[in-house]
Amino acid sequence: MMQGELFHNPEVKPAPSQYPASIEKYEVIIERSKCSMCGKCAEVCPTCIGASSIDYEAYQKPNGYLRIAVPKISCTGLSCQRCVRECPDSALSVKISPQYLALGDVRWTADLIMSTWEQAEVGRTSRKYEYRVGDSGGGFDKLRFDFELGDEDISDGERSDTEDCDTSIVLNKRNDGRPETSIPIPVYSADMSYGSISLNVMLARAKAAEAWNTFTSTGEGGYPDELIQYKDHVVTQVATGHFGVNAETIKRSKIIVLKYAQGAKPGLGGHLLADKVTPDVARIREVVPYISLFSPFPFHNVYSVEDHYRHVQLMEDVNPQALISVKVSTPIDVDMVAIGSYYAGTHILQIDGGYGGTGAAPDIAKKNIAMPVEYAIPIVHNYLVREGVRDQITIMASGGLRTAFDVAKAIALGADGAVIGTAELVAIGCKRCENCERGKGCPSGIATTDSALKYFIDVDWGSQRIINLYSSWKKQWAYILKKLGLDNIRELRPSDEVKFKKGRFNHMAHLDHLK
Amino acid sequence: MKTLYERYHIAVKEAPPTVKLPPKFLVKRYNNCTDAQECTQACIYSVHETKEDGKIAEPHEELCRGCYMCVLKCPKAAISIGINPEFEKLGNSYFSPDRIKTIYFEAETGKVPVSGAGYNGPFAGPGFDSFWFDFSEIVRPTRDGIHGREYISTSVDLGRRLQSLEFDENKNLVSKIPKTIEIPIPMILDAPFNCVASSNLQLALAKAAAGLKTFAIVNARQYSSDLAPYKASLIPRINAEEIEKFEGLVKKSQIVEVMFEDSDVEGQLMKVQSINPSALVSSRFIYDEEAPERANALAELGSDIVHFHVDDDVVARDPDTIKNAILSVHSALVDKHNRDKITVIFSGGIAEAAHVPKSIILGANAVAVGVAYQIALGCRVCHENAHGQGCTMKLEDGDVELATQRVMNLIGAWRDQLLEVLGGMGLREVRRQAGETGRAMFYDDLEARIFGDKE
Repeated sequence: MMQGELFHNPEVKPAPSQYPASIEKYEVIIERSKCSMCGKCAEVCPTCIGASSIDYEAYQKPNGYLRIAVPKISCTGLSCQRCVRECPDSALSVKISPQYLALGDVRWTADLIMSTWEQAEVGRTSRKYEYRVGDSGGGFDKLRFDFELGDEDISDGERSDTEDCDTSIVLNKRNDGRPETSIPIPVYSADMSYGSISLNVMLARAKAAEAWNTFTSTGEGGYPDELIQYKDHVVTQVATGHFGVNAETIKRSKIIVLKYAQGAKPGLGGHLLADKVTPDVARIREVVPYISLFSPFPFHNVYSVEDHYRHVQLMEDVNPQALISVKVSTPIDVDMVAIGSYYAGTHILQIDGGYGGTGAAPDIAKKNIAMPVEYAIPIVHNYLVREGVRDQITIMASGGLRTAFDVAKAIALGADGAVIGTAELVAIGCKRCENCERGKGCPSGIATTDSALKYFIDVDWGSQRIINLYSSWKKQWAYILKKLGLDNIRELRPSDEVKFKKGRFNHMAHLDHLK
Repeated sequence: MKTLYERYHIAVKEAPPTVKLPPKFLVKRYNNCTDAQECTQACIYSVHETKEDGKIAEPHEELCRGCYMCVLKCPKAAISIGINPEFEKLGNSYFSPDRIKTIYFEAETGKVPVSGAGYNGPFAGPGFDSFWFDFSEIVRPTRDGIHGREYISTSVDLGRRLQSLEFDENKNLVSKIPKTIEIPIPMILDAPFNCVASSNLQLALAKAAAGLKTFAIVNARQYSSDLAPYKASLIPRINAEEIEKFEGLVKKSQIVEVMFEDSDVEGQLMKVQSINPSALVSSRFIYDEEAPERANALAELGSDIVHFHVDDDVVARDPDTIKNAILSVHSALVDKHNRDKITVIFSGGIAEAAHVPKSIILGANAVAVGVAYQIALGCRVCHENAHGQGCTMKLEDGDVELATQRVMNLIGAWRDQLLEVLGGMGLREVRRQAGETGRAMFYDDLEARIFGDKE
């Protein structure tokens, strides 16, 4: 029985930013020395400048420029400029704001960050920002679905009613007597430890996972008691540090993930720097506070595929009903790892590509070790197809998947679904400033356990933002399926080997190889 | 008591820069600020502070890390954060502002740069950015070197290696075992650009080389008596036609670098050997298309080391040059069965820690670090353009200790990052990484295999 058929999408509710100001793409500047304060700009502006948003008191201060404060609705930018044209004093200018230019990077562009915020707020995208691809110059950013080439007819839009659209996937395909475990969207949420993120963030993610009837993961830092209320949606991670891992937490979960490697720092163990090992974190990890924690690499009881089999068996001995997920990164022989893992009894193979997220990792490892997941997915898929076992194991891709389109492309390259980390954090306010590892941790109160910062994220607000993001993503998946004439998202995954010819394969094209 | 075993360790310690970098972020407060104090509460890096009179002080931009909390929490939207144009002007497209910032961090702290969030750069790029290191998943034994749980060697040998041993009919060894010198890191310090090569800089480099137990190359013409105490750590670089002139230096050095242009290589090598038979000879050439052939000739002539330099400006214009240069020399030597007869050193375009193991995996035995340490000491890679009218790198007498420490910190941080890579790859020693292109994953190959027509 497909649970997907019974499932109702959780409700989208507005979850606006919790801050008084916002990061805007455009800003309007009034040159004080020229302005005669006639108010014409406020009069003519179709959306952005309400009279009340000009702060006259501040205006009386000497020197410099006055920026229009707190725009009521975001300025539509360079294409409008009505206020500039109609100002009798020529005192106004509209420009791309410096914070937009400083926000993000080529993988998570300012547009991707702001479109993710928008989706988290209202559960859909306005198309005002680029929401499908980043600017990294390769991989997902160069892959397009056929309908995206040339003029895309967007008249059917992203379908607002996605209730009947089947985007579900099954996590256990082994038919081994354990639950089949279907999730209504082809994603679950990534491993992030208590310590790397705050308890409130964990709870928000777990609550969203419950609403979407999918999963989130404890990460390496133990299983806080507060999460027990969501235990049917929480994956217990067993990683090399074994922090807070015991028979009880293994028995509690429907899925156990054995973390062999992490894409951001393959071949290296976890890092949690001293400042973030607060007494609370230390207690649950059973360590001394304020010392840096470096997990070993690899599992010292697993040096061969036979050891790996024993390791999987060990989990089954403790919890015979749990599905076993194995998280690996992407060496050149990732296909060999995959087949070994299949024969060891794994239900889910999570391939975490080299550009995956992390709470702290050496920069040299993030950039240079292991291959991007865009290559690893087809390598693993093709090998498992050739070995005749592809349909008995679920492949989840992770490591640099930012958007609904990235997930769909990963599926079209041979994965069954995806594991999402950073996008959820962006949904609750992350700006990718990359300061998660140091001192108190995240200034936005996400990747932190600081005694004050950890209360920044309200659990209900955070979970609603993540629910909204996935609602928006589901609309986009429904749109993609409709455009491609597919009934459900499982049909998007190729049944045969992925083979690009002249830059094309099935529904996809790679812009650099198109002939 | 005599220590029987000493683990190699680079003594890093905090060494602040004498020439400061411009801050990356500009923080601007518009005049609709009402001193509401939200920014001072929001900022955990102390960029915004309240003055005694209750007003908010000018922002400390150098502390800003671009988190935007002040921007978002300001009730008047009166704060703006942007990238500082002065920061963006640093260096060039290759020695980029962010690379310079990283070098500064490494030189100041000696620590491995660690950050949160996933990789933020392009999917791939030219040169050293066109391949990734393979790593060991679960089936190869651990090599956890960085945290000292297991020893990973970063030593390399300078000099020739015999292909085989020969014995006479009485089973006596007749092969002459060539001398090699082991250095504990696959890095030596290259001679600085002429525009910055002051005697203080030479001294700092000599001291750093001694502290690191490696070598610094020094232009023979600038070899002063101050450097004498460090002669065991110095490689004098001598123009081929001036060997006799610097006979004294040749005599007292363990390694001599002869800089060739088109001169008679064999004759000059013999000249050095006749002056000091125990010295290793490094033959230095500017890399050109004849380099692969030349490397084979040098190996056969008995040069212990060949040092090819690729001009940093050339690498900046086309980063593929250094990658192709190393690959072509290495494979030419392998083809002619000469690879182990000579030590290959490359320099040029070594701009970040990853470039050391990347040069090695392409086929170099070691690299000579040049511009990177100069940047750590204040050079802005203007290549003499601005020399005399604003070179920022000045080394006063009192700065030598600090400069020495900054160079050691930089190399210390790079060595620790080398350990991260070797650990990730499951390698026990860096010697085994040389030329191991099978453990590198090339963008071109993967693109062709997955998205191209090849399978």
